[in-house]
Amino acid sequence: MTNAREISVEYLARVEGEGSMRVKVVDDKIEEVEFSIFEPPRFFEAFMRGRPHTEAPDITARICGICPVAYQMSAVHAMEDAFDVTVGGSLRELRRLLYCGEWIESHALHIYLLHAPDFLGYESGIHMAADHREVVEQGLRLKKAGNSIVGLVGGREIHPINVRVGGFYRVPTKRELESLVSELEWARDAAAATIRFVSGFTFPEADMDFEFVSLSHPDEYPFNEGRIVSNKGLDLAISEYNDYFVEQHVERSNALHSQIRERGAYHVGPLARYANNFEKLTPFAQEMALEAGLGTTVDNPFKSIVVRAVEVLYAVEESLRIIDSWVQPTEAYVAYTAVEGEGHGATEAPRGLLYHRYRIHDDGRIADAQIVPPTAQNQLTIESDLRFVLEGHLHLPDDELSWVLEQSIRNYDPCISCATHFLDLTVERG
Amino acid sequence: MADVVVIGVGNRMMGDDAVGPIVIDRLAGRLPESVALVESVGDATHLLDTWRDARLTVVVDAVVSGGVPGSVHRIDGKAGFPSSWRSASTHLIGVVEAIDLGGAVDMMPDELVVYGIEIGTVGPGVELAPEIEAAADEVVELVVEEMAESGIGYPVLGSR
Repeated sequence: MTNAREISVEYLARVEGEGSMRVKVVDDKIEEVEFSIFEPPRFFEAFMRGRPHTEAPDITARICGICPVAYQMSAVHAMEDAFDVTVGGSLRELRRLLYCGEWIESHALHIYLLHAPDFLGYESGIHMAADHREVVEQGLRLKKAGNSIVGLVGGREIHPINVRVGGFYRVPTKRELESLVSELEWARDAAAATIRFVSGFTFPEADMDFEFVSLSHPDEYPFNEGRIVSNKGLDLAISEYNDYFVEQHVERSNALHSQIRERGAYHVGPLARYANNFEKLTPFAQEMALEAGLGTTVDNPFKSIVVRAVEVLYAVEESLRIIDSWVQPTEAYVAYTAVEGEGHGATEAPRGLLYHRYRIHDDGRIADAQIVPPTAQNQLTIESDLRFVLEGHLHLPDDELSWVLEQSIRNYDPCISCATHFLDLTVERG
Repeated sequence: MADVVVIGVGNRMMGDDAVGPIVIDRLAGRLPESVALVESVGDATHLLDTWRDARLTVVVDAVVSGGVPGSVHRIDGKAGFPSSWRSASTHLIGVVEAIDLGGAVDMMPDELVVYGIEIGTVGPGVELAPEIEAAADEVVELVVEEMAESGIGYPVLGSR
């Protein structure tokens, strides 16, 4: 007699195509593992055709409510690449500061409200708050420190509107930036406490052989600029992205899956950035990471929560450094002339590498756009992790099995991660 | 943050999910300046920060509870929601979760009213379905009335 188990989890079942996980096991043999995500970029790519290039930062910022800065940054860098514009000095620093704000808020949300409950055995951050109110309050306050940076530099906390090609519409004053300092000093201690807190969790065993892909910059932990590198020898200019990576249709799914050409799955996000750039972290962040028991490379995706916490500490310290040394520029942006051409931008969203490419008409309108979000790049890797986790946990009953599978999806903080906390679960047995 | 806040939750690029922010657009100029009009993607932590010190908060959001698209629900946010009723936001921990979390960490306004506009499925797009357009106008009037009944609708001469 066959014994078939099918676990399917549809996130936000009422929202079509939002994302789902389906695994099928027959006689303790894994027959099918599928993780699919909602792919709004296709709509946005089409929507931007024919529109002025100046609209791209604000339009693409709406793809993700939690990482609008990343979309804005990849968009403006791609435009600036097309028009041969260089943004340096204080404006460049201000962009890094804005990005720090987004990392802090996005990582704090994920660590405290979405991922920690998995490790502590709570159904959600809300259930966790009942027993660990002070922990949740610390997470909320840390997130707010990030929100305040985005609010001030980005123009508002939600859907920041102050970013433009060439720089900003308005730059804050030095005094305004300094108003953030005391809370960021609190946040530095809170971030260190966060590393200690999450490093005490129990982590499922998993030593994966990932190809870690991220930006790398000679002088800094990467946000906006650098070359695309991997721990297995990739080293390319951002403009060469499409020569090395390809989005392919996989028969069982409507979604496009990113792969390294003729090589397959790869991993983007905090673990990749960390592995490729450990020595660029601040001395304190490095020290805290090692104290937390991390090596200079982390192969266990369940420990991504610790690496996220290390990145929060880095982002807080980097924010303080930028504010301290920042000199208010005389101009809010670099003037430029739009010309016909093609430009590429890749920046490090909290979830990993975010690539944009635009072709621009001679009148400054967008001829063609391509957006490759981090979650799409991680899709194949997430599936292979699910397969690995499934093999090691087949003895568990369905509800516990489903728990560890969802937890391993949340290792990647996919854009749908929040939805996974109020999913409808169906388990079918043959 | 202001004493009275109206928050429109949604994503302007996701079809009918844009209805909350569109209601906010249409409320501009209809309420005293002391009432803050805020657009939100529904991030719970942003909602908590926006409403924690308010006396009265009105949230307008798209919902999917199996009802007829365009129908409007008015719910006392502090009395709890029907179990079938969930935020239809495409991202983040939504309004319902924000209310639960706000209760747990004591970050709730004195009074919270939620207008839920029933929509179909959510997908990318920049236009509202006709029945959602009409519902948006209906909710604008309901919020204006709500404020008037709370004694907020009539700006006092000489004050801002």
